[in-house]
Formats: sequence, C-alpha cells, structure tokens
Amino acid sequence: MLVPVRCFSCGAVIGDKYEEFKRRVEENEDPKEVLDSLGVTRYCCRRMLLSHRDFIDDVIKLEEKGP
Amino acid sequence: MEVRIFEGEGNRAKILLENANPSYANALRRAILSEVPTLAIEDVIIYENSSSLYDEILAHRLGLVPIRTDLKRFNFRDSCVCGGAGCPSCTLTLTLEEEGPKVVYSHDLKSPDPELTPVEGIPIVKLGKGQRLRLEAEAVLGKGKEHAKWQPAVVGYKYYPVIEVNDKCTACGECVAACPRDILAIEENKVVVKDIEACTLCRACAQACEEEAINVKGDPTRFIFTIESNGSLPAVEIFREACREISKKAEKMVSLL
Repeated sequence: MLVPVRCFSCGAVIGDKYEEFKRRVEENEDPKEVLDSLGVTRYCCRRMLLSHRDFIDDVIKLEEKGP
Repeated sequence: MEVRIFEGEGNRAKILLENANPSYANALRRAILSEVPTLAIEDVIIYENSSSLYDEILAHRLGLVPIRTDLKRFNFRDSCVCGGAGCPSCTLTLTLEEEGPKVVYSHDLKSPDPELTPVEGIPIVKLGKGQRLRLEAEAVLGKGKEHAKWQPAVVGYKYYPVIEVNDKCTACGECVAACPRDILAIEENKVVVKDIEACTLCRACAQACEEEAINVKGDPTRFIFTIESNGSLPAVEIFREACREISKKAEKMVSLL
C-alpha cells in the first residue's frame, strides 16, 4: 500500500527516503547510485525501497467521495 | 577500557573501543538496543478516519515514527509524579487534523513542545479528496526490550582488522584485485593497507593469495562500533546513555550481593 516506515529486518527508518528514491529513479538515475547517496547501505534496507510498489492511489479511487 | 570517538556528528557515530573484550562489546551493543529509553507513540485516539487505511494500521505506522527525545526532562509513565495518569512530564500529546487530497507526513503531527518533535518526512497515509483524519497520539518513554519502536538505533560492531603480510609475498597483486573494499595497494613491491578500518574481515585477499602470504585477523581487544540513530537521540548520546544504563545495572547487582 504505502512505503513501510521502517526496514522489516533491522528497524532503520526508510519511509522518509522513498519519495526521493522514486523520483530520482524515474529520472533514469541508477538505483544503486541513488541508494548509496541516500545512505541506505545494508541490503535489508535496500530491498525495502527496491521492491516496494505503492498502490494506495488505486484504493483511494474506490473510496473517494464526490464526482 | 578506553573509548575513542572517530565520527560523532548527528545520527551516525563510529566509536573505537580499546582494551575491551567480546563480552564487554556485546553488553554495550545489547544495552544500546534494549536499555536506552526514547519516546514513541503508544496510544492513539482516533476521532475521525475516512482514509483508506484501517485505524490499527494507521496507529501502527504512527508508533514506528521516531520522536526527538530529551531524557533529562522526561519520566517513565509508571515512575512519574502523576502516578501513571499521564502528565506533561511523562506524556507528549501530538495532534493531527488533515483533509485530503494530500499526503500526510510525520511532521504534520503537531507537538506542544518545539524540541520534542517527530522526525520529518515519513509518509503516514495518503488522503484522497474528501477523506479526513483527526486524531490524538500519546507518546511515552519506553525501552527497546519492550517493543522495537523504542529502539534508538541500529548498532553493530566488528573486531579491529589486522592484516599481516609475510615475506612469502611476491607482490603479484592478486589480493589487491580481490579486495571488495579496495583497501589494498602495491607500493614499492610491497602490499600496503590503505584504510584498515574499512576492512570487513571477509578474507577474500587471503583466499586469492596462492603463496599464503597474506592473512586477516580480528583483534579481540579492540572493536569498531557503528551506531546509526533513527533520529530520536544523537548517536553519541545513545552510546553514553547505554554506558550509564550498564553502570546502573552493575551497581544494582553489587547492592543485591
């Protein structure tokens, strides 16, 4: 749904890094370089960002009120 | 036991422990994880939630948000002067009132104290048009041994690396190429170590060497600690507080004996 607040394995906060990660990867930057520059060094935290898929927008469409 | 702080700025610290032993080092690591108190949201009162997340998922996400803590000013709830009822010296009440469309972030939680604020930039929930959120969250002091949300940092240590090169070395350069951290080099027909502290003791150089001329060992009396705070307390402060907690425990042990 939304990016997890913390890494499942080590407990480091990663939620605050996802938006920048996503934006920069969409600008065709190498995900490896982005993760390194964000200071996400452990592979447990790296997979949190690499494998995440946001789908809350799809759910909001079903619940949104109004026309 | 001597302590030297290499890097101690903000949320990251690298600390060298000398004249120690593995049990001291591990006691410190465990004290950092489970004995250093921090603030975290424990109770959430939800007045209105028409977002796409269930109340309990919302509360869970809020609980994991680190909150900047001042240990001098804050008491544990059960040992507070208010007797556990909840007063400003043991409970921090944060409020949140938002209406979509927008992304609600951790810094939208309003704190009555400008020094005790949530760490910024963590998305809590995304609200669509007309979706509303109104809640009150109570943050209290707690310890990592009770719940991981109170863990102040990610901490690890390693033995201080020692790389030995004996006279069988032919300066072939195999070890230099094998090192994943790129810390070896050949200078004047000799293998030299450029940055010993970056070594992870992986022994790739020893495996690559056909002459068995290079060996990597960990010194069990010296340890390099890496502390990565989640923002609730500065990394060096976490280390100091862990030391205080260990000495408190030791004193209690002596008084019991």
